[in-house]
Amino acid sequence: MNPVMIMTMSPAMLLVAILLPILGGIILMALPFRKRRHMEIYLETIVIITSVLVWLILIGRPAEGVPVVKFVNNLSLSLRLDGCGMVFSGLVATLWPLAMLYAFEYMEHERHEKIFYLFYTMTYGVTLGISFAEDMLTMYFFYELLTLTTMPLVLHTLTREAILAARKYLYYSLGGAAFAFIGLVFLMVYGTTVDFTLGGVLTPETTGDKTNVLLLIYVIAFLGFGVKAAICPFNSWLPQAGVAPTPVTALLHAVAVVKAGAFAIIRLTYYAFGTKFLAGTWAQNVVMGIVIFTIVYGCSRAVKETHIKRRLAYSTISNLSYILFGVTIMTPAGLVGALCHLVFHAVIKICAFFCAGAVIHQTKKEYVYELDGMGKKLPCVFGAFTVSSLALMGVPGLCGFVSKWYLADAAVSGGSVMMYVGVGALLVSALLTAIYMLTIVIRVFFVEAHDKKMDTYRDPNWQMLLPLAVFLAAMLVFGLHPAPIVSLFRDIAAGSL
Amino acid sequence: MREAVTILLPVVLPALAGILLLAAKEPERKGVITWYTGAVLVATAVLVAVCVVSVNVPVTFFYLLDQVPVCFAPDHMGKVFALVVTLVWVPAGFFSFSYLKGGKKQKRFYGFYLIVYGILNALNFAGNLVTFYVFYELMTLLSMPLVLHEQTREAVMAGLKYLFYSFCGAYMALFGLYVVWHHSGTFVFTERGTLDPSLVSGNEGILLLAACFLLLGFSVKAGMFPMHGWLPVAHPVAPAPASAVLSGLIVKGGVLGMIRVIFYTFGADFLRGSWVQTLFLTLALITVFMGSMLAYLEKGLKKRLAYSTVSQVSYILFGLFLLAPAGLTGSLLHVIFHACIKSCLFLCAGAVIRQTGKQCVDELTGIGKEMPVTMWCFAICSLALIGIPPASGFISKWYLCVGAFDAGIPVVSWLGPVVLLVSALLTAGYLLPIVIRGFFPGQDYDYAVCKRREGSAFLVVPVVLLAAIALVGGMVTGGLTGYLSDLAGQLL
Repeated sequence: MNPVMIMTMSPAMLLVAILLPILGGIILMALPFRKRRHMEIYLETIVIITSVLVWLILIGRPAEGVPVVKFVNNLSLSLRLDGCGMVFSGLVATLWPLAMLYAFEYMEHERHEKIFYLFYTMTYGVTLGISFAEDMLTMYFFYELLTLTTMPLVLHTLTREAILAARKYLYYSLGGAAFAFIGLVFLMVYGTTVDFTLGGVLTPETTGDKTNVLLLIYVIAFLGFGVKAAICPFNSWLPQAGVAPTPVTALLHAVAVVKAGAFAIIRLTYYAFGTKFLAGTWAQNVVMGIVIFTIVYGCSRAVKETHIKRRLAYSTISNLSYILFGVTIMTPAGLVGALCHLVFHAVIKICAFFCAGAVIHQTKKEYVYELDGMGKKLPCVFGAFTVSSLALMGVPGLCGFVSKWYLADAAVSGGSVMMYVGVGALLVSALLTAIYMLTIVIRVFFVEAHDKKMDTYRDPNWQMLLPLAVFLAAMLVFGLHPAPIVSLFRDIAAGSL
Repeated sequence: MREAVTILLPVVLPALAGILLLAAKEPERKGVITWYTGAVLVATAVLVAVCVVSVNVPVTFFYLLDQVPVCFAPDHMGKVFALVVTLVWVPAGFFSFSYLKGGKKQKRFYGFYLIVYGILNALNFAGNLVTFYVFYELMTLLSMPLVLHEQTREAVMAGLKYLFYSFCGAYMALFGLYVVWHHSGTFVFTERGTLDPSLVSGNEGILLLAACFLLLGFSVKAGMFPMHGWLPVAHPVAPAPASAVLSGLIVKGGVLGMIRVIFYTFGADFLRGSWVQTLFLTLALITVFMGSMLAYLEKGLKKRLAYSTVSQVSYILFGLFLLAPAGLTGSLLHVIFHACIKSCLFLCAGAVIRQTGKQCVDELTGIGKEMPVTMWCFAICSLALIGIPPASGFISKWYLCVGAFDAGIPVVSWLGPVVLLVSALLTAGYLLPIVIRGFFPGQDYDYAVCKRREGSAFLVVPVVLLAAIALVGGMVTGGLTGYLSDLAGQLL
């Protein structure tokens, strides 16, 4: 490429990108807005500037890192952007402005709006921090921060239900992080460096005869980070956190927070312990077993659930474990599959959640059985929902098929019995996905309406529909022409990016 | 480029026309929809014919995954299936003009009817397994609205059952697909198989398992035991023209899938003598008998025909798994004949139900006096399905039995023909009484209430046309049989 076109950004910009939304959120509290419209413009501007900045950083990626705070010895908070971080930060930067736009419409009639936006904007910066982290310690720092900034969002409605959910969220997440911390300590002692290195930081010289202990620690740390990624049995916070307003459930509990968990596990597996150390050990089988179980468990619960948002939350639990299944295959191909599903599931699920939110916003209906015959009245919303259902099931031509393909391909190449079982779990889960998503679609389009107020329902305005349109386009483009993004992931997995 | 356009047109034209119809506003005069649909059906039929005659080279469109293109390659097998689809789809479409007249949601019905026609054409022309899979899933999804058209609770539940069985099958097939991909590196349909021998050795076990899952997956659509449960539920609740094409053609999508897997992906030699062959021969024979038996016991007219489909399609599958030229020839003949016969029977049943409202077999006493033309066609098709010469079913069953003897598989070589014949007997048992009581109502019948209830030309002509094919197909089969034998010879 033409070197003039690409201006390499200074590493300091990483810090700027993180601080901009955090400070922007805090300043929001100090600014007296006379009109709601002005606040919207202010917030959207902050978010868009941050996203543009992130994309500029991605294009002109600084090779160097930037140390922010130095503690003792080699411990420091420092930022650096590598291939894996690019994927996560690019994803977040694309989704956040759209989610913000949607939130303006959705939150119109809610109370404490400013506090909501304060934390909603701050979370953006914190999530970027996770993706920019150069080492385990920095990631851990932002990871804890993420829990703290998102807790108030769950709490938002201040109902008893919300308080319980927020408390559970807090305990689960902090508890999980504590386990992850154990892993961090062991990595510092036995690793050659604390910085993330593709292939791992453990060498036979440093580990000595402590292999089994380290494997145990890996499993513990995996489970610790796995709390945010909602692996079974640490998943119950996620459906409960669905009491939060939809922009939170959609963006945070389907993408940012839960994917941060998955992202942390990718870091832990590929960049800290290293696949060379882990592959073929009992630890791999243990975590893979847990993940495979979660895939099926999440789907089964989703089939049983009648609350739309909780159903989608269970679906998220299952799909997050798709990603983790890719991770636990512990080959570059597995990482490609995991990254594919990380991105594609984000697009699909945020779309499905936004549809569910639009329905709740327009009709106040929250349960599946209340939706009979609504397809005529909200054609755009349910059209988008249908497409995202098909994508989630993995109908070819949409992006879900592609990520499932690469996951299964990696598993079959891996060739162990456990991996074949995993492929089976993926397919069972796909069938269950068809059941819990398409029953909604059929209800909506093919069952006669019996709601008297049906005539008053209509599609929401452009602020809600625009994000849906963007997501639909993304699902189609990734589904029909996945080659560019997949080759990007391949480069990342091979370490050449 | 010319080929690409020729091959895309029969897919894209009906699909786009259908989408347009779905998106359009409800017109004030209902007649507009039928004229439009009729025109598109005829135009597509012509395009299919043109494509069959003129395109012989594979056409690649774009890459769905790296190294896996979406490509169309109309070979002989695909062309045979494409012609069969057109032969039935268009008459059934015309039948529905009269059948659905005055009904609700006609626009939606015709919209999906056209789209599925396009999808089926694509399915038949698909040049590799992934392309086939793509259109197979689309076929399932888009034919679902035809099943639950009536929107009664029963219909919706049947639609769901159809959908979930089908997806269960599709995902089983997908498992096989993943494994095959790893051991062949290409999905392009090649006569006698595409497996890479260097990758196969040492992995026969997992490959046979993959073959089993692929075949089991596609067998769901073909209604083979143990995955037949959806068929007798879903086919009867659909409107008659939809039942006709579902039973006559959509099930053949599953058959084509199995043909593609056996003869174009794994190759008959890989499967011959394996446990997979034994398993599927057994399942097919069980289904043949079970379907006939259930049909014999069933009182609902359409449901009886649906069970009959379960049984008859497994005749075809039995022929495939013999892995012998005569068996394959018989299967392909039966694909063609069964498509015409079963659609005709369903259309007859539809005409009867529409004109008299009678749905149960026992109510049909004297129906032959009221609707003679329809019931004559029903009678002809019954004879053809039983396999009484010179009607068409005889020829296909003959080849199937010859194939069973030729294949020389222990037990199956004599048990197969026996089961086929017992099932033929049962077929006579569940079809002929309808005909007999229809024409010879007995002394208790009150001729005073009898009046002519024959429907309009749209209800009669398609039925007569299909019945004529079912009859004549058995008499002038020389060319067809020769062609299909050659085709079978190339694959085995």
